[in-house]
Amino acid sequence: MTVVPARSSQWVRPVTSQEPASAIIEIDHVSQIFQTSARKDHVALSDISLTIEEGAFVSILGPSGCGKSTLLYIVGGFVSPTSGSAKIKGHAITGPGPDRGPVFQEFALFPWKTVLGNVMYGPRQQGVRAAEAEAQSRALIEMVGLKGYENFYPKELSGGMKQRVALARTLAYHPEVLLMDEPFGALDAHTRTRLQNDLLSIWERDRKTVLFVTHSVDEAVFLSDKVVMMSKSPGRIREVIDIDLPRPRRRNELLLDPRYQKYVVDIERMFDESDEAGPAS
Amino acid sequence: MSPAALLRRVAPVLACIGLLAVWQVASLALKNDSFPTATEAIRAIPDILGDKESLINILASLRRMALGFGVAVLVSIPLGLLMGRSRSVAAFFNPLLMVIYPVPKAALMPIIMLWLGVGDVTKTLVIFLGVSLPVIYHSFEGAKAVEEKMLWSGAAMGLSPAQRLVRIVLPAALPEILTGCRTGLVLALITMITSEMIARQSGAGNILFNALDMGQYDTVFAMIIIVGAMGICLDAIFERVRARLVRWSEPQFDMPLSFS
Repeated sequence: MTVVPARSSQWVRPVTSQEPASAIIEIDHVSQIFQTSARKDHVALSDISLTIEEGAFVSILGPSGCGKSTLLYIVGGFVSPTSGSAKIKGHAITGPGPDRGPVFQEFALFPWKTVLGNVMYGPRQQGVRAAEAEAQSRALIEMVGLKGYENFYPKELSGGMKQRVALARTLAYHPEVLLMDEPFGALDAHTRTRLQNDLLSIWERDRKTVLFVTHSVDEAVFLSDKVVMMSKSPGRIREVIDIDLPRPRRRNELLLDPRYQKYVVDIERMFDESDEAGPAS
Repeated sequence: MSPAALLRRVAPVLACIGLLAVWQVASLALKNDSFPTATEAIRAIPDILGDKESLINILASLRRMALGFGVAVLVSIPLGLLMGRSRSVAAFFNPLLMVIYPVPKAALMPIIMLWLGVGDVTKTLVIFLGVSLPVIYHSFEGAKAVEEKMLWSGAAMGLSPAQRLVRIVLPAALPEILTGCRTGLVLALITMITSEMIARQSGAGNILFNALDMGQYDTVFAMIIIVGAMGICLDAIFERVRARLVRWSEPQFDMPLSFS
């Protein structure tokens, strides 16, 4: 097995046999080197090994430029690593697939499709009959709080609403893993908080595996079972921290919880201690 | 209706009347045989449109134009999209297009006439060449600008590369592609007339230049008006179709302009 700098998480379902049964994603000695224009190699990721358990909410936290998004793209199959390998359920990842659903900071909605058209796109592509896909999509649109906006075009929606559509669009084709790339990074603080709460309540219903990239310490602690701290140049895993806080989590309770506060302060201190600039949260 | 809105509505009519008035006055002042008055030119229009021979000529022009434009669009859009999404396709075609781009397509006509004669094929081919470049260019730019993450989202849903090109790149680039087509449509009209000036056999351009040869200047000016009107009508029709197709990309509200 690979070197896994992880301790067991509270939120792993009861496992009969140890570790392998619950691991859904295995990242094995992955490095990513980009050639910059000056023909100098830029090491975005250096020897990353990480195992993600099924049903866990895992955040990858780090300053900009630490390669955390690149790591997510490798799991998504959008980028091939320079060396090392990534596996999902034991199979090597060679490209994108409907078992891994991305949600991007830029929303990446199809602007020529309505809200309903966007959400239906995945199921239709997977061969679901139109009527069935529509019914499922309408239910999802309602779940993300956009009932009544089915026939709106993306340009008619605010940033927060667009990200709700993007989430519904990805959930619609039932990926086993959600890959969220700073999904709330482009939103204002108020919208961001509301979407965090809603994401958490949606997630707590069916506990899909989530890989969540962020540079916000509060966001990572609030949402996650496990926080993977990264440092930059080259991008490395610095520390993996289990967040041992009860669920379901309520924001107003959690903010007053000394355990939550301690996680946030500890993580921030660890970033400050390293010689690089801390995370820009 | 507010006075400003009313003014906006009648402004195009006022512009046309103004232009005709200036023409009329200038022509009366200059008293030149080769510069008929606006009323004389307008009076010649029904004669042209009533003449069966002229109508056949004009329809032949339009047919060549439609064919040249249609084939050019069908070929140029896929080529431009492929160039926009594949560096090697772009690397192959870009130098070729850069060579062809600044050459006036009418300048190629003598050679094409030598090879293919003075008939429909030559003229349609020149129209095709004239339309192709702006459509390729805009399709190329439009495809290049498509957000990578949008394509990734499609790939995650299981779309193959070919499906992504047709079902994501094409609709996403459509506003830009149609901008190219609109330029192409005007160029089709221009190359249509030019080709008929060079290979005088039939067509609207042929009527114009025959009239010029015979000193029927009112017919010359009447034909200029007819060709211009054809251009305005085609453009207006195209604009309506375009607006319908890309309604999803148009701004929701009319922002006030600086000098409104």
